[in-house]
Amino acid sequence: MNFPIMAHLVMGYPSLAESLRSAEQYIASGCRILELQIPFSHPTADGPVITQACREAVEREQTRVEDCLDLLATLRQRYPEQEIMLMSYTNRIYHFGLKKFAAALLSLGVKHLIVPDLPVDSPIARQLEGITLVPVLAANVGEERLARLIDMDFDFYYLMSDFKITGSTFSLHPQLARVIAAIRTGAPQARIGIGFGISTPEQVRVVAQHADVAIVGSALIQAQQRGHLSQTLQTLVGYSAS
Amino acid sequence: MAFRQHILDSEGFFGPYGGCFVPEVLLPALEEMQQGFEALKEDPQFLSEFHQALHQINGRPTAFTPLPRISAAIGGAQLFLKNEGLNHTGAHKINHCIGQALLAKRLGKKRIIAETGAGQHGYATAAVCARFGLECTVYMGKKDYERQRPNVYWMELLGATVVAVEDGSQTLNDAVIAAFKDWVANPTSFYLLGSAVGPHPYPAMNTFFQKVVGEEIRSQCESLTGRLPNACVACVGGGSNAMGMFFDFLDDAEVRLIGVEAGGHGKQPGEHAAKLLDGQPGIFEGYYSYFLQDDGGNISNTSSVSAGLDYCGVSPILAWLADAGRVEFERASDEAALAAVQRLAREEGLIPALESAHAFAYAFELAATLTPADVVVINASGRGEKDLFITMRHFQEENLLAYARHLLQHQSQKAFAV
Ligand SMILES: Cc1ncc(COP(=O)(O)O)c(C=O)c1O
Repeated sequence: MNFPIMAHLVMGYPSLAESLRSAEQYIASGCRILELQIPFSHPTADGPVITQACREAVEREQTRVEDCLDLLATLRQRYPEQEIMLMSYTNRIYHFGLKKFAAALLSLGVKHLIVPDLPVDSPIARQLEGITLVPVLAANVGEERLARLIDMDFDFYYLMSDFKITGSTFSLHPQLARVIAAIRTGAPQARIGIGFGISTPEQVRVVAQHADVAIVGSALIQAQQRGHLSQTLQTLVGYSAS
Repeated sequence: MAFRQHILDSEGFFGPYGGCFVPEVLLPALEEMQQGFEALKEDPQFLSEFHQALHQINGRPTAFTPLPRISAAIGGAQLFLKNEGLNHTGAHKINHCIGQALLAKRLGKKRIIAETGAGQHGYATAAVCARFGLECTVYMGKKDYERQRPNVYWMELLGATVVAVEDGSQTLNDAVIAAFKDWVANPTSFYLLGSAVGPHPYPAMNTFFQKVVGEEIRSQCESLTGRLPNACVACVGGGSNAMGMFFDFLDDAEVRLIGVEAGGHGKQPGEHAAKLLDGQPGIFEGYYSYFLQDDGGNISNTSSVSAGLDYCGVSPILAWLADAGRVEFERASDEAALAAVQRLAREEGLIPALESAHAFAYAFELAATLTPADVVVINASGRGEKDLFITMRHFQEENLLAYARHLLQHQSQKAFAV
C-alpha cells in the first residue's frame, strides 16, 4: 500500500481553473488527503514559494473566499469520497465570517481546518462550530500544553518537521519523537502528519517511520511551475511502505 | 473607568482587541516572555535597574520645551514639546529597547531579532545589544533600507546584521513578517519588537516601558505651567510613542489625547496609513486590532513619507481606547509633515523626525482653535537627522544632487590617482 500523502496547493494559483486541474491530478495520482489553502496577501508562516503563489492568487487572480468554496464544491461533486482539509490564515476567514465559513465547509463535507496563526484553544476558534481544527505543533511544544491539546480530542496533528518555514530544506528534529510518543499514548486513534520541506521519496520514507501522513506543499507548487507535476506526484505517492 | 489599571492587568486583551494569534511554535517563547514580564513589572530591583539605565544611557528625563515663537505666531494655545529626540540614538524607541533587552538578559537569551521601519527601533536595538553583549539581526524593508540609509549605517557600525527585505511592498509590514519567520526558525532567540503592536505581551509591555514619557510630561508641565495639558498630541505608527505619552493621562478625563495618523498623499487605499480612521478590525501579525485591508481580508499596502508610520496595523490598546472615545484620531498629510519640519527648523531651531512632524502638523491646526490659556503638548518622538536624504530631496534637491556628483567625481579621481 502507498504511504498516505497530504498534498497541498494554493487555490487560485496560477489560476482557479489550473488549481482545480492540479487538485484533480493530485487525486488521480492517489494523494490520500488534499490540503487546499485559501490565498492570503501576507502569509506570515510560509516560505517564498507559497508566499509568491499566494500573492499571485490574490493580486493577479483576485481570488475570493467565495471562489475557493466554489472550487471546493466542484471537487466535492466530482469526488464525493475524497478527504479534503482546508487551510487559511485567520484574517481571511474572520472577514468572511467564521460561523458562515464553518457551515460552508461542513456542507461540502470538509471537517478539518488548518489555521496556522490561530491557537486551537483561542476563544475565536470556538466560533468555527462543528469544525475540527488541526493543531500545527513543533518539537518545542511544552509537556503541559501538549497534554491540554490531547485532552481537547483532536483527531489529526500536523507536526512541523523542524524549526523552519514551509519549503525549507528537510530535516527531522530529534525532539519530535517525544511529541509523537505523547500523542500516540494520549490519542491512539489520532493521525499524525509531518510536513515542512518534504520534496523527495527518501524524505517520505523517513517520515513514514514516525507518522501516518507525509505532507507536501512547496515541492508540488515548484513541480507544477516547472511542468513536471505528474512525475513528482508519481515518485512521492508511489513510494510503498513495506 | 480605570484605563491604566486595566492595561496593566489585561493579560493581553483590551476589550475585544489584542490576544496572541501566533503559530503554536512561538507560544513557548511568548509564554516565557509573558511570565518574565509579569515578574519584572513589580520587581523593585528590575525597576531601579531600568530607570538607572534610562538615566545613564538615555540621559532621561528628556527636555520639555516651550515653543514661544510658533505659539505667538499662531495666536492660539501655548505649545510645548516633549523632546524624545534627545534620547540616545535619537528617538523614544530606546526606552522599550532597554526594557526588553534587560528582560532578554534575565531570560538568558543570546540572540535578538528586530524589525525596523524608520530605522530608529533597529538603531536603538543595535545599540542596546552592543552594550549588553547580545547578537543582533534587524529586518528592514528594502524601500526603508534605501530611504533611511543613515540608520542602516549606524546599525552596522554597532555590529548588527541588517537584512533588507525584498518581499511585498518592502516596508515595515514586510520587515515584521520576516522577523516573525526568523523567530519561527529560531524560537530560542528573543524578538525585540518595536511598537505597542504584536501578540501579548508586547502591547502592554512596550506601553509599560514607554510610560515614563507621560510621567515626565506630567511633572514637567505642572512645574512649568502649574497645570495639566488640555491636549497631548502624538503621531501613531504602531503606537509606542503615543502610548508612552498618553498612558499616564488616561484616567485624567480633562486631558484630551490625540493620535495623528499618516495621511500620506491621498485617501484612496494604498495612499496613506490611517488605520484607525480608515481601517477595519482584523487579526494579523499576532493581534486583533484595526488594519488597512480590503473587503476580502487581504492586507493593503500603505504609503507615508515617514517610514515609521508606513504600516498597516495599530496597537490593540489604541483600538480599544478609540472605541471607548478616550483617544481621538486625526490625520496629517506628507506635505503637512514636511512643512512642519521646515517651520520648526526655522522658527524654533528644532528638527523633528518626519514621524513626529505629523503630530506637529495637526497640533498647529488644533492650537489655532484654542486660546493662550490652553496648553498643548506634542510628543517629538524623534529627531530628524535620519531623514537627511528625504528632507534634503524635498527642500534642496539641487544641493543633494550636486553633493552626490561631487562624491562620485571624487571617487573617480581617487581611482585615477592609484
Ligand atoms: C521617531 C519615530 N516616531 C514614531 C514612530 C512610529 O512608531 P510608534 O507609533 O510605535 O511610536 C517611529 C517608528 O519608527 C519613529 O522612529
